[in-house]
Amino acid sequence: QAPIPPGPRIAITAITQPLPTQPQYTRVDQPLIRDGLRTASNGRIEVTLATHAERNLAGTEIVRLVRSGQAEIGAGTLTTLSGDVPILDGIDLSGLAPDITLARRIADAMVPVANRDMERFGTRIIATYPFPAQVVFCRQPFTSLADLRGRRIRTFGNSLVDFFNALGAQPTSIGFPEVYSALERGVVDCAITGSGSGAAARWPEVSTHISDMPVSWAVAAYIVNVSWLNRQEPAVRELIERTFREVSDRQWALGAEATRDGIDCNIGNREACRIHQLAARPMTEVKATEADRAETRRIFEQVVLPGWVRRCGARCGEVYNQVIAPLNGIRFGG
Amino acid sequence: MIAIVFLLGLLGALIFAAASGVSALPVAEILMLVGIFIVFFGAGVHIAAVLGVLAFLVGFLFSDRPWWMFAGQTLWGPSSNYVLVAVPLFLLMGEILLRSGLSGRLYSALNLWLNRLPGGVLHTNIVSCAVFSAISGSSVATAATMGSVALPYFQDTKYDQRWVLGSLAAGGALGNLIPPGITFIIYGLITETSVGALYIAALLPSLLVTGLFLLLIFLHGVRNPIEKPPAVPLVLKLRALRGLLPTVLLILLVLGSIYAGWATPTEAAALGVTGAMLFAAIERRLSFRLLNESAEATARNTALLGLILFGAFLLNYILTTINVPQALAAMIAEMPLPPWAVMLCIIGLYFALGTFMEGFSMIITTTPVIFPVVVALGYDPIWFGVIITMLVEIAQISPPDGTVMYVLQGMRPKPGPITDVFLGVMPFLLAYLLAVLLLLVFPEIALWLPGMLG
Amino acid sequence: MLRAATGLRRAVAALAALMAYLAGWNYVFCAVFVTGDIIGRNVFGVSSAATVEVTGYMLACGIAWGLAHTLARRAHIRVDVLLNQLPLRARAPLHLLSLVLLTGFALFCAWAAWSLWDESALFDAHDNSALRIPLIWPQGIWGVGIAAFVLMCAVLLLEALLALAAGQPGELDRLLGSRSLQDETEEALEAVRMARGG
Ligand code: NA
Ligand code: NA
Repeated sequence: QAPIPPGPRIAITAITQPLPTQPQYTRVDQPLIRDGLRTASNGRIEVTLATHAERNLAGTEIVRLVRSGQAEIGAGTLTTLSGDVPILDGIDLSGLAPDITLARRIADAMVPVANRDMERFGTRIIATYPFPAQVVFCRQPFTSLADLRGRRIRTFGNSLVDFFNALGAQPTSIGFPEVYSALERGVVDCAITGSGSGAAARWPEVSTHISDMPVSWAVAAYIVNVSWLNRQEPAVRELIERTFREVSDRQWALGAEATRDGIDCNIGNREACRIHQLAARPMTEVKATEADRAETRRIFEQVVLPGWVRRCGARCGEVYNQVIAPLNGIRFGG
Repeated sequence: MIAIVFLLGLLGALIFAAASGVSALPVAEILMLVGIFIVFFGAGVHIAAVLGVLAFLVGFLFSDRPWWMFAGQTLWGPSSNYVLVAVPLFLLMGEILLRSGLSGRLYSALNLWLNRLPGGVLHTNIVSCAVFSAISGSSVATAATMGSVALPYFQDTKYDQRWVLGSLAAGGALGNLIPPGITFIIYGLITETSVGALYIAALLPSLLVTGLFLLLIFLHGVRNPIEKPPAVPLVLKLRALRGLLPTVLLILLVLGSIYAGWATPTEAAALGVTGAMLFAAIERRLSFRLLNESAEATARNTALLGLILFGAFLLNYILTTINVPQALAAMIAEMPLPPWAVMLCIIGLYFALGTFMEGFSMIITTTPVIFPVVVALGYDPIWFGVIITMLVEIAQISPPDGTVMYVLQGMRPKPGPITDVFLGVMPFLLAYLLAVLLLLVFPEIALWLPGMLG
Repeated sequence: MLRAATGLRRAVAALAALMAYLAGWNYVFCAVFVTGDIIGRNVFGVSSAATVEVTGYMLACGIAWGLAHTLARRAHIRVDVLLNQLPLRARAPLHLLSLVLLTGFALFCAWAAWSLWDESALFDAHDNSALRIPLIWPQGIWGVGIAAFVLMCAVLLLEALLALAAGQPGELDRLLGSRSLQDETEEALEAVRMARGG
């Protein structure tokens, strides 16, 4: 590891997580990206770290933000970014990866392919990471996925809409800030979000049952401006790339830990609740059954995957069969 | 004038903070920008253009980013934000209610009950605005609707024009505080707080403000007595209450749909429009012409706010890229002061900004930064949402810049200087500030009800 | 010359008025659409699953398409307390300054809208709603509204400059000054007349 030679100050703006209170921000981004880069470069690299909320960003525009040089590094969930780069949605389809280890293997395998698309826009994925598993919160009891039939479920993004339509539920479009009161008043019966995000948004106050089955992982990525990165001295570039490999490892570890922690906090399990906020009104955990897992796999194969290929184009189907099918054993088109 | 005094005060605080070593500030540049701001305002440049020019200057002076390359997204993102759809919808509802005569009936029904009190018809202004506010979430719409109904009443009466205009402006400034309200929806959006809880928390504070306004008018009426209209038999008064019926039903529809779980607060605005059309149809007033004219007025008033938002968003984006609000918030947070004093500073900051800023752009620009500070100080997010809304309402009626006041000035049947409105609104402005201070001392005014129900 | 410019301005203002009526009716339809979504969800169990996106586009386009007409009606807000105290000769150049700055700002907004549209076309960007709407459509419609605003600014500026050159500051004041109290009153009273059963 070559030390960074002395030289001019390097100012980096990195706009990463949606909210400044998220553990992804306070436990990884701040110590590793902001403080770590400064220390490792002997103070040459000065990172201005900010969140989407502080910059009044919706999250859909991160690729454009990095492309136009507003920030050197940005981050966002792939589903949110897929409006601009459709192939990204394929990394985090609903029902694609039942566990986080597989989710990471799929994400890592897809990065080189996705980067071919990203580089057309002058950007590149430099690291992937997950948010806690996306799980279902309901205001009424349920014991299996089949019970969700006919319920109004707040979703976001195409593959979740496909998934819940296939379950016979009714996907409903409501902005995240309104979900709390929508659950409270019964405008929707259920909503899906990260197990930890639900705890942070105090959803346990307005819902009673939480599923432990990950529908998806909200896989996200750090995106870097390519021409900026290529302009850096080799030692600096190497330091940045090494840092983001470490960031990625730490984030995936945090994702696994925070998924369980989020559920524990929501169900009022005080001993296991260390990262998120403990629910004042504990929820009931609904354990996924074998039947649920089989149903999820079926819906993924028959509805979600074909739907994504239809949106993304035939090439995406081929990419899927080449890269992802060997990992999860489900081929597109049989 | 207030704007300038407060700006100077604010600058003084900034310089003091810089001198005491909290952070280094480019005081000369800030002074220059403030100067340009004031000169452009004096020269009558459009507010949107003033904000846009400021954005350019700040961008080229302080930012090393190609911020203009992102300007399209900066303008498009917030203006296509579904939460703001509530603005034109509430305006449209007001226009339809006005043109179908429903707001007129509301006014005359209340007037029969209130016009013999000391202060007379002025009470009707406040109460009718308050009742209308319970359907409308927009202060501008409330002032515009009730103003156009009420102002003709006062032609050739002995009422002091300043008090007439002031009470209507003050009544308009209840539009957002009495649920439903757009400010709560936006605050909820930015801070991820429950809009429903905000609405409940706002009930007692809005009664407090309404009460203070009525008290003010009562005192004015006692000191300046005018001849009472003849008494009306109780039977007639009771019969007149039927005029309230459509309004009450609309309130039930808009607020009821939220609490019954049929609609989100944003969606409820749309129900209000449909309900207003329904009542217009029942009154046999619904026509193509009515809708067409309401549509035009809504388009115009939304565009007027939209252009200001363009300027505000651009300035907001550049200020955040160079970390101004963050630095300001950090400065306030690091001040060696007890929490209540910091909160007073924050209230002062909002009051100062509010004298020359639109409440709307003010809340969008500052809340993301101030909010974490407030929470860190241990204040309740719901309580602060109510405080912010009151400050936004104060901004709407604090001279020299306030949409509510312009709207009323534009509607006066007999021409007069806008200073009538400015002076007339002053006592009400002070009453509003008093209410904010009361809330600061007794947070339970806002928090008791949500605590009881939650 | 001045007369031709006046004619041109009137023509653009008529177009702008048409666009503003469309923008206004767009809000009426927006209310009906959302109401339909509420009833559909609560009674029939169907929802568009794109309400958030579509209503957002309706707002953005409504704002943009109303801008030019609002300018033609001199309703964009300025603080003109001081301005109105000045003599006519001093007022005319200040009106012009205000319009020049506004035109500059409008041009910048139009350029920004165009570059946004261009980028969306390059990305072939779609929204994340169930309808997967290509962003070039709402952003294009939005941009057209802003372009009309620029056009309105430009013809007003032309007419104002010609009026100033012809030594008619009074004409310029009528063109750019804030709406006379009479205009506004007429409008408010008209609405009230309609309410009284006209
Ligand atoms: Na209201
Ligand atoms: Na103000």
